[in-house]
Amino acid sequence: MLWAVATLTFFAIRLIPGDPAEAVLGGPGSQASEETLEQVRRDYGLDQPLVAQYLQSLGRLATGDLGSSYALKVPVGELLAAQLGGTILLAVVALALAWLIAIGLSLWSTTGGRVAASVGQGIELTSAALPHFWLATVLIAVFSTQLGWFPPVSTGDLRGLILPVVTLALPLSGFLAQVMRGTLLDTLDSPFILSARARGEGEIGIRLRHALRHAAIPGISLSGWALGYLISGAVVVETIFARPGLGRTLLQAVTLRDVPVVTGVVIVVAVVYILMTVVTDAASRLADPRLRLEETR
Amino acid sequence: MHSALPPRSRRGLAAVGALAAAALVLTGCQATPTPPSDTPTSGGTLTYASGDAEPTCLDPHVGGNYPQALLATQVFDSLVSRNADGEIIPWLATAWEVAEDGLSWEFTLRDDVTFTDGTPFNAEAVVVNMNHLQDPATESSTGYLALGKVSAVEAVSETVARFELTQPDSALLESLAQPWLGIESPAGIARGMEENCESPIGTGPFVIDEWVKQDHVSLVRNDDYVSPPADASHEGAAYLDGIDWRFIPDSASRYAALQSGQVDVIDNAQPDTLAAAEEAGTLTELDAPRPGASNRIELNSGKAPFDDVRVREAFVRAVDINDGIDSLFFGSATRSYSPLSSVEVAAYSDDSLFDVDLDRANELLDEAGWSERDADGYRVKDGERLTLDFPVSTNQSIPAEQSLFEQIQATAKDAGFEVSISLLDLSGWYTALGANEYDIVSAPYTKLGPDVLRILFHSSGITPAPSGYFANHAQVSIPTLDELLTRASEVTDETERDELYADAQRLILEGYYVLPLYDQQNHFLIGPAVSGTRALPTVSTPTFYDAWLTD
Repeated sequence: MLWAVATLTFFAIRLIPGDPAEAVLGGPGSQASEETLEQVRRDYGLDQPLVAQYLQSLGRLATGDLGSSYALKVPVGELLAAQLGGTILLAVVALALAWLIAIGLSLWSTTGGRVAASVGQGIELTSAALPHFWLATVLIAVFSTQLGWFPPVSTGDLRGLILPVVTLALPLSGFLAQVMRGTLLDTLDSPFILSARARGEGEIGIRLRHALRHAAIPGISLSGWALGYLISGAVVVETIFARPGLGRTLLQAVTLRDVPVVTGVVIVVAVVYILMTVVTDAASRLADPRLRLEETR
Repeated sequence: MHSALPPRSRRGLAAVGALAAAALVLTGCQATPTPPSDTPTSGGTLTYASGDAEPTCLDPHVGGNYPQALLATQVFDSLVSRNADGEIIPWLATAWEVAEDGLSWEFTLRDDVTFTDGTPFNAEAVVVNMNHLQDPATESSTGYLALGKVSAVEAVSETVARFELTQPDSALLESLAQPWLGIESPAGIARGMEENCESPIGTGPFVIDEWVKQDHVSLVRNDDYVSPPADASHEGAAYLDGIDWRFIPDSASRYAALQSGQVDVIDNAQPDTLAAAEEAGTLTELDAPRPGASNRIELNSGKAPFDDVRVREAFVRAVDINDGIDSLFFGSATRSYSPLSSVEVAAYSDDSLFDVDLDRANELLDEAGWSERDADGYRVKDGERLTLDFPVSTNQSIPAEQSLFEQIQATAKDAGFEVSISLLDLSGWYTALGANEYDIVSAPYTKLGPDVLRILFHSSGITPAPSGYFANHAQVSIPTLDELLTRASEVTDETERDELYADAQRLILEGYYVLPLYDQQNHFLIGPAVSGTRALPTVSTPTFYDAWLTD
């Protein structure tokens, strides 16, 4: 999988117009002289045939070496290691908040009768459709400029984290709640809930103790996808809130045709994605005893 | 120091002292901000927020773009500077003399300056710097071009450096005044590119302390600073303890951060922001048009239909842009009628050539053979529609400018032009230009002095460089113009030089190769706590050497 990702990235970034040698020289239109360009092409092996460049970069990747950034002239591994933490923190906190909102919303919309159901559905649909850049701008206008509660751009502390996290979490919670509410309603109609009701359990207890567990399963499997969604959202959010992170690094690298950095970010995201799949598998097992039973049989 | 968020207005309050005056500021009754104090005080860290891309290397010798120049202005001194009247003034060099034949320049240097790493500044340091700029391994673009006529630099004595030239260069002093030719410590350069990109070492008022990529650059005061340019307001070390240099790419976030007091100064203030700031009344605007060329639309005379001067004039007469500039830029941009920026003394303008006259445009197009119109109202000749390809760089044209181009598209239609705009990212845009797939284009060009005309309009600028880059987008090729521009770049007499450049600009304007729009916009907004900021009259980068914070 990692090999496929590396290969796709390597060739895709060469399909967009622009000379990587110019990335080294400060971006397109750098007015570089012939001597300068040739020097750079030699230094970075860009004068070699594409296949040779491809094999070289694969060989380096196999040994865990991500190469050196054309633009920033530092090892890609070092660069990304410094940026990874910020994005992971942002994504994990946003995911947690999205889950909280989704659980609250779906519990309320399935308990509160007809009105709550349609209002809940409305909120889910609306928030799922909110574009990040719009939401971020509105949040800054309201909570920074008008109310002065939170700083408009990142400060590196907790207060600066809140608006970016909310921007990422709200649309995601809409998606999660939609999926959860569907399963929750199905589950509430199933026989074991009927028997629980017959035993005299209250509605709240039924939802918390029995139904929610079922409803969470599709949401958990969705969380792997959600992380990808959050990382792509990070490109927008990190730019607007001026937060350091992978998203902003990726955006800059693509603009500058900084091939090693783009490849590096894509590979890191792929690794995170694989790890996340492992984690969601384990989480599904915890939530769903049937999966565990199947294994022991 | 801005980790917590007490609104900056509180500082302003303390500064103004009188509560009544402060109340006036807060209620917005006052149109202009009250200067917090007239007496500079030392201390405090200023937070600067840049909307430009974060530089990939802080050494301005490498590459050489505007974001680098903004930072370099705080860290490096150049050999000479330029004052507000356009005269070259002493900086690290106290005097200079050019030989009779114009092929040799001697610069007398200050003998009391030391780089912030302790290396002494002397003629040998100048030699090392110029060699560094001319060495292909440095990967310099701007500085390399600026030294194009320099063949050798040598140290005559400890304090005299001699530049040998292949041809006389009337632009040499202006070239050397640019921040991309700031003088760096030879010991710093010797550390190699990687380290020198991280923390280049100069003689300037501030020192690079730390660069946290994608976040900020910390600058601290150089306590031993002795070498401000001749037009600075004070001597000795800077007032500020340091500068926290942040990168906030989003224009709305940048302004919000300034309003909340999280940052003190922002650059790339957009027209709508400037209008809002003026209304708010607590912020100061620094309007510092960049030198070199004005922002202009260039008409590609290298191919049909603009190879016919009548069609070019028809286009210029047909499009009405004055109202568009007023409304889209909220009055922050002034219409230009010159190929040069208004900060250039040599700028020549002629507004009579640009009167909007639709009848005249129609007449000219009929004459040029574009007399028929198709069903959509566009002119046709030999079955071909009068279509103009207009690649627009979304990196270089701000949203207001893109809207202006759409208005041009609409008004050109009245005369029967079909303007086909394509919005492209920088690489795509350069590719379109390199492939000659454009009839109209607009590209900014920053360079100190009128010699920019030679780069933009000399016929040698039509041939693309190896990187595909070429500057003569209008593809102007007039032998008499080439001659004027070459002669102007070689004469040492300033009056003569300005006359030659005026003649050259007349030829360019009367040939309808360009439609000047406005100066290259460069607006900064400054918070209420900051005083004493000015833009260096070289490439209009703000310097914080004379700036102070009121607390």
